[in-house]
Amino acid sequence: MTMDALTSLFLLVDGLTNGAVYSLLGLSLVLVYTTTRVVNIAQGEYITFGALTYASFLESTLAPVAYVVAAGGAACLLLDLRRARHGQRSLLRPLAGYLGAFLALAVLCMLSLRLPFAGLRMLASAALVAALGPIVYRLTVEPKPDSSTVVLVIIGVGVAMILHPLALLLWGPDPRPVPALSDASLAFAGIGVGAQSLFIVAISLAAALALYLFFRHTLAGKALRAASINREGAEYCGIPVVFAGRLSYFLAAALSGLSGMLLAPLVTAHYEMGFVVGLKGFVGAAMGGLINYPLSVAGVFLVGALESFASFLSSAYRDALVFALVIPILLWRNRGGAAHDE
Amino acid sequence: MLGIKRSAAALSLAGLALAHAANADTRPELRIGVVSSMTGGASAIAAGAVATINLMQERLGQDAELPFRVTFVKYDDGSDPARAVNAARKLIQEDRVHLVICCTTTPASLAVNKVVEEEKTPNLSLASAAAVIEPADQHRFTFKTPLTDRLMIVRTVDYLRSKGYRTVAFMGLEDSYGEGGWVEFQRIAGEKGMKIVSAERFARGDTNFTPQAMRVVRQKPDAVYVHAIPPSSALAHESLRRVGFGGEILHGAGSSTAALIAVGKKAIEGAVVGTAALTVYRQLPASHPIKPVVERFVGLYEGKYGAGKADLFAAQAYDTVNIPVAAYRQVVAAGKASGLAQARLALRDAIEQTREYVGVTGIYNYSPQDHLGLDGRSTFLAIVRNGKFELLK
Repeated sequence: MTMDALTSLFLLVDGLTNGAVYSLLGLSLVLVYTTTRVVNIAQGEYITFGALTYASFLESTLAPVAYVVAAGGAACLLLDLRRARHGQRSLLRPLAGYLGAFLALAVLCMLSLRLPFAGLRMLASAALVAALGPIVYRLTVEPKPDSSTVVLVIIGVGVAMILHPLALLLWGPDPRPVPALSDASLAFAGIGVGAQSLFIVAISLAAALALYLFFRHTLAGKALRAASINREGAEYCGIPVVFAGRLSYFLAAALSGLSGMLLAPLVTAHYEMGFVVGLKGFVGAAMGGLINYPLSVAGVFLVGALESFASFLSSAYRDALVFALVIPILLWRNRGGAAHDE
Repeated sequence: MLGIKRSAAALSLAGLALAHAANADTRPELRIGVVSSMTGGASAIAAGAVATINLMQERLGQDAELPFRVTFVKYDDGSDPARAVNAARKLIQEDRVHLVICCTTTPASLAVNKVVEEEKTPNLSLASAAAVIEPADQHRFTFKTPLTDRLMIVRTVDYLRSKGYRTVAFMGLEDSYGEGGWVEFQRIAGEKGMKIVSAERFARGDTNFTPQAMRVVRQKPDAVYVHAIPPSSALAHESLRRVGFGGEILHGAGSSTAALIAVGKKAIEGAVVGTAALTVYRQLPASHPIKPVVERFVGLYEGKYGAGKADLFAAQAYDTVNIPVAAYRQVVAAGKASGLAQARLALRDAIEQTREYVGVTGIYNYSPQDHLGLDGRSTFLAIVRNGKFELLK
């Protein structure tokens, strides 16, 4: 079938919106990989949790994930206390830290239950989902500090297999509609573009830029990178490696959760929404070798656009085409020989 | 003091036991084995059926008028066909049931067919696909109660023809549900002279349905049929409207749930949805035979579980229990209830001879060739108006 210019433009605009959704995911994957060397298969599940948590707050009910975070946090606290006692360090520090985090989350949840501000509710949902990140890290990755990449990937698969049905258990199978931040729509060269799409693109690009600047130009960012390149060397230089891992999981979960909240008005919040988005984010991030932020962002936009055109040309094969994109990307990454990448 | 209390308690216990013995049920027994997907991926579908079966167990247990007593043995298959087969075998061999109600899903029901054929025990499946009972000569012991996609699509295509439409586009999920709908739609539309100008697929995890909608619109079909479940079906509908499709959009029975309207809101207005009597029973004329049955079921179900809770999955299970109970009356009356093997065969034959049985899902006429037993009288079309399903006359 032939495509006229208007159709192509329409497809391109939709593809770029999709790319922006995937880009927050791609960024989370790069963030986690550059600091911990974990290829996090479970990253897409945070999208689901972000969207459903936000949907719960919009219904003015406490998101059931709060209990999971409370229980998980308590388990982590016990583990940390045990470790502090073994290392004969003060028990007060972990206690104070966890108590502070608990109080902050509790206050945020209470406030967003009382006050009907979308921004506040997004913040509370992002904080809850973000808290899930370090809990998962503490319980799954941290006990195995010297595991090979393959073991870490398998851990990620396991976490995904737990989080996916957990979302079904907590929220049930029904899709929940989520209102857009703004119902406005702009006419752009004859095409209606929803304000929500523009929000998604703007926030994704801002997040990419912020992460890029953080890792290139701040001491903390450089320390995080150092921790991933050489764990022991970083530790000798006084970089708290364990803390680096938790921080990156925290940020990555927050970004993915945010992506879910932005996506939910377009496709509703339901328990199956995250995983495939996670995989497509992964295809895009592969273009940046999971380490390069700008290239990864370019990659996810390419995936979004390709998906949009493939859906138009042959909807039955669109996912196959998107995932097949990994092959040319890997060939291209390896163009300088195997030694080119780490 | 304590001693007195104790002996009083012992006495009353003994009294209870005596009273029980005096009332011991001497009626013959109908043992029904149930395998449902209480946990796992299909648990959302099974939930309503499990609730109905619990309700029926309670009610049949109290029913002293029945010429037999009904006992239930229930297992969970975890949405796994292999576990369903094991559970069905255990029900038949160890629990010695007269009948199994198995299973929630199509794959499990297909897998269990061999067991019930070998063991010569009747089975009533809650699965939707016609493959569960076809061909009937290889599925002598399996019956089913839920409507099939085929019946629903015949109704939908007849509607399209009655409106004078010639061309239609298909949009559907790319999983087994969507594929089943596509196979039936392609065949039935072809037989009835409709031209399918475009067939597009999408997945439940998709974030964008516009490209497929654009392709459909460019073929300028008179109408579009969407075979999916919410939210995908509602989102596909929205996308069609967004790209300027002004024709009629029809949906399969998978979309006849409250979620379609909750997700689609204003965009879904005017959608025509294939459905069963339960969704539109209030608007049926008082003379309609199904109406009082649905009213009775909804009253019972919502009396126990709360208003607005009754869904199609719950309704299907109501017929699944009531049809064999009605059939077993004949078995007992004919004096064939003694001996497990004889009773099973007699029950199978009695179910197959069910004629004009009015259930919640429809009017059943089983025969050696047809183990679904439903016809066009059981299918309805509803239109979404002002955020509600209205019967389309």
